[in-house]
Amino acid sequence: MAKEECKALLDALNKATACYHHLVLTIGGSADSQNLREELQKTRQKAQELAVAIRARLTPPLRDRGLGAEERAEFERLWVAFSGCLELLEADMRRALALGTEFPLHAPRRPLVRTGVEGGASGVAARALSARSLRHEAERDFDVEDLHQLEREILKVGEMIQDMEMKVNVPRWTVQARQTAGAELLSSASAGVSSVGGVSVQQRTGPCDLSKALAATIFSAVLLAAVALAVCVAKLS
Amino acid sequence: MAAGPAPLGGHPRAQRPHLSKMERVVVSMQDPDQGVKMRSQRLLVTVIPHAVTGNDVVEWLIQKYCIAEDEALHLGTLLVQHGYLYPLRDPRRLLLRPDETPYRFQTPYFWMSTLWPAAELDYAIYLAKKNIRKQGALVDHEKAHYDQLHRKINHTWDLVVMQAREQLRAAKQRRKGDRLVIACQEQTYWLVNRPPPGVPSVLEQGPERGSCTARQVQMTKTVDFYKREIECCRKALGRTRVKSSVCLEAYLKFSSQRGPHDPLLSGCLPSNPWVTDNDTYWAMNAPSVAVPTKLRVEQWAFSFRELLEDPVGRAHFMDFLQTEFSAENLSFWEACEELRHGGQAQVPALVDAVYQQFLAPGAARWVNIDSRTMERTLEGLGRPHRHVLDDAQLHIYMLMKKDSYPRFLKSDLYKDLLAEAVVPLEMKRRVFPFMWKPRHSSPSLALLPTSTSGEPEAAAEGSSQQADPHKAGGPWTELAEAWHSSLAPSPTFGTDTQSKRHSLVVTSRGHGGAGGCATPTRPHQPSSSVVSQRPQLCHPVGQKWFQPCHPSTNQFWFK
Repeated sequence: MAKEECKALLDALNKATACYHHLVLTIGGSADSQNLREELQKTRQKAQELAVAIRARLTPPLRDRGLGAEERAEFERLWVAFSGCLELLEADMRRALALGTEFPLHAPRRPLVRTGVEGGASGVAARALSARSLRHEAERDFDVEDLHQLEREILKVGEMIQDMEMKVNVPRWTVQARQTAGAELLSSASAGVSSVGGVSVQQRTGPCDLSKALAATIFSAVLLAAVALAVCVAKLS
Repeated sequence: MAAGPAPLGGHPRAQRPHLSKMERVVVSMQDPDQGVKMRSQRLLVTVIPHAVTGNDVVEWLIQKYCIAEDEALHLGTLLVQHGYLYPLRDPRRLLLRPDETPYRFQTPYFWMSTLWPAAELDYAIYLAKKNIRKQGALVDHEKAHYDQLHRKINHTWDLVVMQAREQLRAAKQRRKGDRLVIACQEQTYWLVNRPPPGVPSVLEQGPERGSCTARQVQMTKTVDFYKREIECCRKALGRTRVKSSVCLEAYLKFSSQRGPHDPLLSGCLPSNPWVTDNDTYWAMNAPSVAVPTKLRVEQWAFSFRELLEDPVGRAHFMDFLQTEFSAENLSFWEACEELRHGGQAQVPALVDAVYQQFLAPGAARWVNIDSRTMERTLEGLGRPHRHVLDDAQLHIYMLMKKDSYPRFLKSDLYKDLLAEAVVPLEMKRRVFPFMWKPRHSSPSLALLPTSTSGEPEAAAEGSSQQADPHKAGGPWTELAEAWHSSLAPSPTFGTDTQSKRHSLVVTSRGHGGAGGCATPTRPHQPSSSVVSQRPQLCHPVGQKWFQPCHPSTNQFWFK
């Protein structure tokens, strides 16, 4: 079914955009490195592929005059989400370009801002690409060429957005979103509760940690009891 | 993540130079050799590096820029308030403490110059994420913003929810420490860009800063700039200027001419209504009164404008013109005035009426206008507006002023008016002390007091040589007069109302007394002290209110 396909693609694009946003956050910070730039490139290329695919799928039904009102509304909703996502992606790409030029990884080198973020973000990129893990195979001066390519890609995405506006006429204000206020709270359990990290720096252990600690203590208590029993048995016998 | 294309750091950054300066400071702090000393922050299990203490920051600023501690503290606070540094213990209080409180640097993505202005879609996504994290327990103002955004950008709410969920899931792929840091960073960014109520926003620019940049733009010396300067100077040259000697002469002439007519400088006859509660003065000087006062008639001789502005004067002038068979000039002028000040809807009709009556060839009351003005007026009549007859009106005005007005002043009509004009009498004094009513606070120069024998005689020697029956006679007749007028049943001297009036008068002395106390500066003070007497503390009610201001001048007018 065309709609389900579109939805799946849109979810994938959404995921890629979110991961790209997450990666762009750390440019110029202490976690900036060649690997990061490479991950950025891979993520945005994947996002662009998805965008092209969705556009190919969504444009014909919307240009089809003979579509039913409900179907059309559904497609319009998808279209609005798609164009919003694409705009987010474009804005993030522009910022990545600005930050990348300001904080080049090779000479003339500006000291990177020590933000406290240290670890790698390969997990994030892997998630975006729906792959298990990521291989880094970049050369030395990767980031300089990457910036040129990024510029070209920004222009391409800009053109795509323009084109979309011209070809398909969907007035944004008539679209009614399906989600209500607070809909994110009714989400599936995978949208983590507190393990994502309390914002307060006084780290109070969340309930997940508590249960883990509890399990650990029970296990160690059982282990100790078993060891004590074994010693007693050994002593007695 | 803005919903619109963000400029590539060109224009907005140029407009906010303080941000780029701050960023340079922050970047120089990052130098591994000469930057600020970094420590680690130790939480329960995780260790997060790159924490700085407030003390270190202040010291580094002092050392690097050679400034005093106060200034370093202020600079550090600015950095914190603009979000380049954020406190780890108390994230909502954005100020720099010069002690061991830990701070951390903000990632360049969330710097003010990169991500400004803050987009609503981003804020919505942030609030949705927070909602998920806190299970719906948002702070009040955040809740209000959330609802508001839900209404405003309702059409993209699907995207908001999707993005919020996905961003949280993406964040989970990171280490715990990184996750914490990134969450802190985002929170700081939104604390700066959407401050809670009661916290002043650093993003606000006063109006004067905007004009500053505009002025700076104009300082570039382009061709346009010089052209504008030339235009300004040319206009300045063309303005009419008057020499100050000429100005001052005219001013002196005006003052000397008008001095006797000014009620404050020269007193008003019969009495100042504000002081004595007697409003004869106003009644006698009403706009349309049968017999104008002498001063008023004299004023008509000062200028033509005075004559025309006074309704009585205008009426008499009209009579005069009728004797000269040129009354249509004044009628035309009046009609033009009506056009200029009348309603917009009547303009076309009025213009037409005026034309028919005064300007058309062979009209009933044809006015004599020179040909050039007539041509111009006739042209303008095609598209009537309220100033279309201005030229013609001015021409007629000048004609009357140069021609008819001097003749009017020399005419018998005017002389008769002068002769018939009335000079109001000054109010009589009471004889007995407790019945005295206060004089008008500013005695008139017209009553030149030549002797101390009382003011009726002084009134006789006024500039107005009138056939006034009260003027002749010695002191005894004066006394008799005073008695007579005091017993006269006139409303102002009614015995019943006297006490009340006296008290009324005395209560208003606060003003009148103050006005009268200005008299010491006047040159005629010694002689007019006779005239400017004040009633004593005679009335029991009056005693409560009255404050004598010139006890030394209280003399009986008999003396």
